[in-house]
Amino acid sequence: MIKTENLYFAYPSEGASHDVLKGLDISIAQGEFVAVLGHNGSGKSTLARQLNALLTPTKGTIWINGKDTKSLDHLWEIRQTMGMVFQNPDNQLVATVVEEDVAFGPENLGVPPDEIRKRVDETLKTVGMEAFALSAPHNLSGGQKQRVAIAGVLAMHPDCIVLDEPTAMLDPSGRHEVLNTIARLNKEGITIILITHFMEEAVLADRVIVMHEGEVVLDDIPKKVFSQVDTMKGYTLSVPPVTDLAHTLRRAGLNLGDSIMTVDEFIEDETVRKLLPKKTNQFAAVSPAKTVPFTQESTPAIEIKNLSHIYSPDSVFEMRALEDISLTIHQGEMVALIGHTGSGKSTLIQHLNGLLHPTSGHVFIEGEDIQSDKSKLKSIRQKVGLVFQYPEHQLFEASVYNDVAFGPSKMNLTPEEIDTHVKEALATVGLGEEYYQKSPFELSGGQKRRVAIAGVLAMRPKILILDEPAAGLDPKGRDEILSQIKHMHETLGITVILVSHSMDDAARLTDRIIVLNKGKLLYDDTPAKVFGQAQNLQSIGLDIPQISKLAARLGEINPAITSDIFSMDELAARILDLVGKGGLVS
Amino acid sequence: MTRIVIGQYYPSNSVIHRLDPRIKLLGIMFYITALFFVTNFIGYGVAAVFLLVMVKIAKVPLLFLFRGLRTILFILCFAVILNLFMTPGENVIFAVGFLRLTMEGVYMAGQMAARLVLLITGSSILTLTTSPIQLTDGVEALLKPLKIIKVPAHDIAIMMTIALRNIPTLAEEMDKIMKAQKARGADLDTGGLIKRAKSLLPILIPLFVSAFKRADELATAMEARCYRGDMGRTRMKVMKIAKPDILALAVLAIYGTLLFLTRLL
Repeated sequence: MIKTENLYFAYPSEGASHDVLKGLDISIAQGEFVAVLGHNGSGKSTLARQLNALLTPTKGTIWINGKDTKSLDHLWEIRQTMGMVFQNPDNQLVATVVEEDVAFGPENLGVPPDEIRKRVDETLKTVGMEAFALSAPHNLSGGQKQRVAIAGVLAMHPDCIVLDEPTAMLDPSGRHEVLNTIARLNKEGITIILITHFMEEAVLADRVIVMHEGEVVLDDIPKKVFSQVDTMKGYTLSVPPVTDLAHTLRRAGLNLGDSIMTVDEFIEDETVRKLLPKKTNQFAAVSPAKTVPFTQESTPAIEIKNLSHIYSPDSVFEMRALEDISLTIHQGEMVALIGHTGSGKSTLIQHLNGLLHPTSGHVFIEGEDIQSDKSKLKSIRQKVGLVFQYPEHQLFEASVYNDVAFGPSKMNLTPEEIDTHVKEALATVGLGEEYYQKSPFELSGGQKRRVAIAGVLAMRPKILILDEPAAGLDPKGRDEILSQIKHMHETLGITVILVSHSMDDAARLTDRIIVLNKGKLLYDDTPAKVFGQAQNLQSIGLDIPQISKLAARLGEINPAITSDIFSMDELAARILDLVGKGGLVS
Repeated sequence: MTRIVIGQYYPSNSVIHRLDPRIKLLGIMFYITALFFVTNFIGYGVAAVFLLVMVKIAKVPLLFLFRGLRTILFILCFAVILNLFMTPGENVIFAVGFLRLTMEGVYMAGQMAARLVLLITGSSILTLTTSPIQLTDGVEALLKPLKIIKVPAHDIAIMMTIALRNIPTLAEEMDKIMKAQKARGADLDTGGLIKRAKSLLPILIPLFVSAFKRADELATAMEARCYRGDMGRTRMKVMKIAKPDILALAVLAIYGTLLFLTRLL
């Protein structure tokens, strides 16, 4: 139903020499589920906008059901056939009531009122949002908003839905909601084109198209695409962790199948079955309990005592956001704070620099109660740097340098001191002199974010709190930001609190994980111990790393593999170790 | 975490709530115009009784009705005082220097106060019983005939809708940006006027940047959903004049007649 022929495209503002799409020949049949992968700037989103004629080719042709997108006669028919769902749920809902928003598309098409009513009711039911028909969009969660957006497209009765990173701004449970909806629609015969950075999502598709520098470099079923681990990494894309593990083991000489993408497939692999016969093993007791290498110094960096916070107390909107939280974070520690949306994470971190005040309880920063003296708030905020989610949204100055200087200039420093603060902070995030005079608004997403983080670092905080620092970035951007944070922690010796939805990131970067659920402290332990609670974590809407899931399943077969393993290297080493000891190398 | 209430809509399921917004808009216009033709206190009495009956039918607590008055309290007092002392008249009650309190003044001030109070409380019945979206639809429908003189009725309505949709989103965003800048040491609450105005820049600039970005994305999304103005556009909810609406018109007509009759007394 979709066919592109020698498709070239360049944005007029950038000149014809900057082709964003370079000669694409893609054809997609009715009912297919296609995932499109590629790092930022690979041309994925541009392709999506071509498919429903929001943009038209500078050279070549696209046919949608045999109709040329360049011909204006078919414009509305093509847009009706090819529904589009965008990344930011807030910026695509038009009306103030859910059902009115779903009606927006059919209304534009001139569908008769009775028929619109019918379609609205039907589609809201399809996406499971019928109970919210009369709600206001701003009171919904991200996942719910995206489902309303999907309903709005569905009500136009499209043949195909193109989704441009629909889950990038959602938490794990929102992501599940949206993916389940998409998969169900595909079963009902709707063609799905899913643009994504998440490999776990691409695995669900029938076909994966990988784009790089405006060209299609891989186009095959997921198994075939992901088996080319090195090629994918060459395009700065990752593969699912289990696939990566299988690849590593294969390279170490084990004869594993080359198309393993899920935990189930790994477990059912013949070689794995043969290598890990069920037996009780003396290794069972050897669990690599990590010791927390912190000696208790005199004053902890942060001490929270019986902290509770209630929003709008004694009103109809009263909400208990935090209940009786007590914890201690030592100087130089790096901890992860985890919980799903609404668990109280954001409320908690805003107490640590006095943006919110406890309803009851106390917060001590380096031994000082931050509520005791209001005049000290300024110095507390300098000591505790807080980087909010999507911090690039707070940039405002005309140049990178001036923006980073905003914080230090409020600290009664001499101009020379401000200058060193700014330069060091920018150097720490890897932005050199050539960026000083650039406007922050012309940088890439990842660079903007680094400027914003530098803006906080320039105040030389002793404690750095980052709320989802990698959210919405592509895999390459994620890795860069996270490794820089790790680097900062190690070289500058600052205490770091990393707030995240991602268990993978938490496990990779920290030695201690704090889990919040419904405003209460649920776990505070090493990653190994926390991931050992797989079922509990999943029941409160959190995901555990794919490797942990695999380790737990393998542990059922062979107890030598304990469920507290969460890193790929560790699991690979353990398997190879076992295989070597058992002398079972095939 | 903040809940934002837009307008002053008081949800309930009364007859008044269910009336066609066009009828309500016309009704309120009629009510306001009629007030200016009232010449004596009996007329204001009739209007007040009518208003109270409407409030009763609408099932809106009286308290909500008077809330609207708070904003005009100053103007109200000013108008009353001005009228009390500045109305020329014969029947002087007392005089201090150039200030003369006359019977005529008291009468005029009373009329002025009654008119203003009835005006404001009357129009808040409209906003209390009509949701913003209905109001938008009503405005669009009533402006439609003005299309002949190039009034863009549909565009005005869709602008109102989008504004209503985005107020809570932008309010949340502003809260976030303020917190982020405070965390960077911004001081928003102290200093002189100029310093304070300056300290707003780090909040307003990001807010505008984001608003423009949102507008751009929303426009693309609307285009993708086949939006092309009101060309060939239908509506899911068609406004229909039903029995209660005709009844409302009849009630308004009777009210108008009564009010006119008071002029003859």
